[in-house]
Amino acid sequence: MSVEIRTLAPPVDPLEPGPLILGAPDDGELNRELLEHVYHPRRGWALLFLVAAGGTGLLVLGITVTLLVGIGAWGNNIPVAWAFGIINFVWWIGIGHAGTLISAILLLFQQKWRTSINRFAEAMTLFAVMQAGLFPLIHVGRPWFAYWLFPYPATLGVWPNFKSPLIWDVFAVSTYFTVSLLFWYLGLIPDLAALRDTARGVWRRRVYGVFALGWRGSARAWRHYRIAYLLLAGLATPLVLSVHTIVSFDFAVAQLPGWHTTIFPPYFVAGAVFSGFAMVLTLIIPARKLLGLERVITLRHVETMTKVLLATGLMVAYGYLVEHFIAWYSGNPYEQYVFINRATGPYAPVYWLMIFCNVVLPQIFWFKQARTSLVVIWVASVLINVGMWCERFIIIVTSLHRDFLPSSWSIYKPTWVDWSILFGTIGFFSFLFLLFVRFLPAVAITEVKELRHELAAHGPAAGHDAVGVPLAEEESQS
Amino acid sequence: MSQGAPLRRTFVLAEFAGPEPLFAAARKVRAAGHTELDAHMPYPVHGADEALGLKRSPVPIIALVGGLAGVVSAYLMAWWMNAVDFRINVAGRPFDALPAFVPIMFELGVLFASLAIFVSAIFLFGLPRVHHPVFELDEFRSASVDKFWLSVRTTPDAVAPLREELERAGASYVGSVEGEP
Repeated sequence: MSVEIRTLAPPVDPLEPGPLILGAPDDGELNRELLEHVYHPRRGWALLFLVAAGGTGLLVLGITVTLLVGIGAWGNNIPVAWAFGIINFVWWIGIGHAGTLISAILLLFQQKWRTSINRFAEAMTLFAVMQAGLFPLIHVGRPWFAYWLFPYPATLGVWPNFKSPLIWDVFAVSTYFTVSLLFWYLGLIPDLAALRDTARGVWRRRVYGVFALGWRGSARAWRHYRIAYLLLAGLATPLVLSVHTIVSFDFAVAQLPGWHTTIFPPYFVAGAVFSGFAMVLTLIIPARKLLGLERVITLRHVETMTKVLLATGLMVAYGYLVEHFIAWYSGNPYEQYVFINRATGPYAPVYWLMIFCNVVLPQIFWFKQARTSLVVIWVASVLINVGMWCERFIIIVTSLHRDFLPSSWSIYKPTWVDWSILFGTIGFFSFLFLLFVRFLPAVAITEVKELRHELAAHGPAAGHDAVGVPLAEEESQS
Repeated sequence: MSQGAPLRRTFVLAEFAGPEPLFAAARKVRAAGHTELDAHMPYPVHGADEALGLKRSPVPIIALVGGLAGVVSAYLMAWWMNAVDFRINVAGRPFDALPAFVPIMFELGVLFASLAIFVSAIFLFGLPRVHHPVFELDEFRSASVDKFWLSVRTTPDAVAPLREELERAGASYVGSVEGEP
């Protein structure tokens, strides 16, 4: 790449954050640089793609075995009737939530640092929700009847029970996917037009042209676009909170000790954001390097995200604390036993791994050294997602495997089919993600240009945006 | 393109380096009596609506109507299915259980509002429309990259004076295209 990338000098004032855009690129430069990875993919892409395709193959294998043999190919049985199917579902849905948080909630709060990462995070949301959606589908046992989940005029004259959280889930997840897709596509239209207008080759222009729908950047269209985008963000904000709340109702509405608790909705939402931000960091740290996006995804972005990890990690820790306190305070022996069993029973190693990854580990982000070391952040973000997976495992498996009647207690063990579906979805997720960064701009170019324009127009001194505008000043402007 | 059709229009397109000279030029051209103006910009800039004399967008009202339609239809669906057509007795709870229907009413409200926003926005953009006369001009490709364009719809005999005026207003390039509007 011909552009010189300035390294970040340590800010003089410790309260003054680093820049959002490095150097002083103009719109044309930004356009070229941010589309570079679409026009000239790096060589490593093909290799990663092959690995991800292999992972997708594993998923196809796991699903095929499940369809041929039935749910018996999985490790779950009575009393643990719900295991990997729902653990992975909750885990993936939670990962998706950070995308909506970044694209919608931070937009409403006018957090300018969201601009370079929102497209990326929204794509992550879509692909994560796709993985999540697979699990209930194959878990119903006869997926060819999955449409029974929806209210449709059946010849039997039967309708779904609208008082059940499971049907709420169907509506919540399908709404969430649809709204995320619309929001993502609306944001993508101007960038697709930029691709259409800069691509070489008739076919590329035609294909991008069709998806750009004929966007001309007309002021008449922008007028509707701005308000439509803002309104979709406004709707996505309560939606994202409702989705994980409803997912938590799947458990909280049941009477099972360990599930039947009112802390679940906020605690699930905080956990979702926590794991989602960890996933954004896991993806973005290598991607900014591989796609050459260091100029618009700076250390400031990464550092801000680690602060979000710290904050949401503390909320998750508070959730654990309250859960345990209420179990003790309730005086209910069944409730108390569940929590003692979690920490000392057969699944204790998973429990302590969860405590380490979700409660102890994020505390390193109190320190500036940890918040600015990419290697440390990357390793921590991977471990946090391991921890969040363990959390769902603990909630689901330990609550079920020893319920009210000791004669029905048993130990749950996943089979190779369970593991291959879990790792297969990671492969499929990466597969979709690699296709996304190959053919579409990973950064919302239009929004970065707009941000650059704003920084240039409102910056206190000419050329100040070259090193970014401090957050405090940005806020006093808006 | 059909020959000599009365619907054919001429567009004069002028390229500017930034939004401010574009808005200044737009005000001048409007003052000169041209009404069918449009600006083409790579990103939205404040001031365009005022410079071009555009009205408020109706998208919020459409979103509100869509959202209310979603909430009402969700309640009617749950009520009719669970309290009228196929009663399911869940531990003696009421058949018409409004609090339990709230999650789906909320979800469908959001879904309908979002679909209404998206569909109405695309419709108001005048899309999908894969071809438009302005695309005839190869230089116009910069409108989605880094240049700001003013487009004035006019008659063929008004092109020459308009071109002069736009050049005086600081346009770095002025061209014209013909086509159906």
